[in-house]
Amino acid sequence: MDMHTYHIQSYCIIRERSIHMDGVTVLKTEALTTLNDFLKSAYRQLGIDYPKFYKMDALCKAVFIAVELMARKAGPIKPDTALIFSNYSSSHLSDEKHAMDLFSADNPMASPATFVYTLPNIAMGEISIRHKLHSENVFFIFDSYLPEFLVPYNDSVLDNQKTENIISGWAEVGEQGCDLFLYLIGKSGKTPHTVAYLKTLYHNEHE
Amino acid sequence: MKDVFVVGDHIISPLGIGSQVNVEQITAGNTAIRRVDDQQLCAHPFFAALIDDSQWDGEIENTQRYTRLEKLFILSLQALIDQYRIPLDRRTLVLLSTTKGNVSLLHSPMGRTFPKERVHLAVMADEIQRYFGLENRIITISNACISGSLAISVARQLLQGNDYERALVVGGDEISKFIVSGFDAFQALADEPCRPFDRDRNGLNLGEAIAAMYLSKSPTDGAINVSGTSSYNDANHISGPSRTGEGLYQSIRAALIEAGEPTVDFISAHGTATPYNDEMEAIALQRCKLSDIPLHSLKGYYGHTLGASGLLETILGIHALKNNLLIPSIGFEHQGTTQRLNIIKKNTPQLLNTFLKTASGFGGCNIASVFKKI
Repeated sequence: MDMHTYHIQSYCIIRERSIHMDGVTVLKTEALTTLNDFLKSAYRQLGIDYPKFYKMDALCKAVFIAVELMARKAGPIKPDTALIFSNYSSSHLSDEKHAMDLFSADNPMASPATFVYTLPNIAMGEISIRHKLHSENVFFIFDSYLPEFLVPYNDSVLDNQKTENIISGWAEVGEQGCDLFLYLIGKSGKTPHTVAYLKTLYHNEHE
Repeated sequence: MKDVFVVGDHIISPLGIGSQVNVEQITAGNTAIRRVDDQQLCAHPFFAALIDDSQWDGEIENTQRYTRLEKLFILSLQALIDQYRIPLDRRTLVLLSTTKGNVSLLHSPMGRTFPKERVHLAVMADEIQRYFGLENRIITISNACISGSLAISVARQLLQGNDYERALVVGGDEISKFIVSGFDAFQALADEPCRPFDRDRNGLNLGEAIAAMYLSKSPTDGAINVSGTSSYNDANHISGPSRTGEGLYQSIRAALIEAGEPTVDFISAHGTATPYNDEMEAIALQRCKLSDIPLHSLKGYYGHTLGASGLLETILGIHALKNNLLIPSIGFEHQGTTQRLNIIKKNTPQLLNTFLKTASGFGGCNIASVFKKI
């Protein structure tokens, strides 16, 4: 029963001020920039053209870039690809911003443009729009990246044959910075979709 | 695939504590929505359904250790565990659905009595886990307004595997300035008790509830089968529903196919009473050829209870099934969608076997679930 034959087809890691695709560093800067500035500069350097990017919060920007790079590497994301994400901070950076607006002493005023990003699943909505994905989205909140939960869960979703692909992983963007590890799961590929392999991939570039 | 059943439920809402009380209140036509004039929540009066803390405060040990929302989650889970004598061993999974958890602590004076990390959903879940000494980590889901229904679907998926025997799924949110100001900025709040699907609807009311469901692989007398669930994104807009209802249409179709295309006896719609949401639902239902099926939205009784709504409305739908009684949609007078709907206007006794629950939310997410008597 445990003979799942799923593989990691492509993966992206965004950490500190660097981006890695399938184990290769695509972009790295030593410059002291904010996360938002780093992501904007990555967007330009990678030659992405999607003006809505600038409206997004940092969580959406990071997720957007990761999936964009996966689509370049692995080919267009199939429309039924499920999105099963997790993180610790939910949408904390946007929550902070909305709360600051709200409790500001001078001019307390909520902005719809900020409020809409106070939900973590908005990041999945953004990439669904970008890649025209009509599929299931689930956003889990955990203390840390938990392949012990995600791997069997994703295997069971694929076993149900509602979809052949999932983009899953850890999309943590919060006060401690960015720790993103997203991967495309499918039938073919060389890297098996197992807890052990995912731990290795996640920790290898964790320095 | 293994069947998963709803074998128990519990509700804490402004209408009372316990599912039965809530069923009695709504079948008597009572609404929890009131005019609220509270500067801590909003600079101007608004309509909402808020839980009165005098109903329950003080019923928990070490009460100062927990936030208001945590206490409500604990009370609801405890009631469920006691009522159904649920063993809290490694075969039992707890899932928690919320959109914003303890966000009221953020930058508010109340926040100073708790550590800063407490606004994080994972930290809140850990507190609840420790309270009950659960062996498994609580699985927290935060997926906008479909969180409650999605948590049922995820629990079912997990129970269909071999690791777990039963699951407790609890959902809830509390209404804070953070949330009210956001919906107000979107101009989504009605200036009266909301009117789902009505011609004159002009927005939603926010509401508070904690809803908990007990799922098991072993059916009991009167258990309800979760016979199909499906969720699709619109891929259209992050804060507006699709004009064609595409994601909801796909969700309903797939859920019904999974359930074996049963005859649907009634629909518990999302029905927030915002102009665009209700119109989108009417279009999706028409595309599914379900426009003639009796339908209600329960938002007229409870407002939009966010992370609780899918669970709360499913539980009440299950009681409607068991009681063979269609529950009316209050606030509705005139057809108000381009596609006509068969809105339930009064309590109607009728033999019921199957209902469809739908929900949609920010981020373009939609979900449909089918519940059947066994």
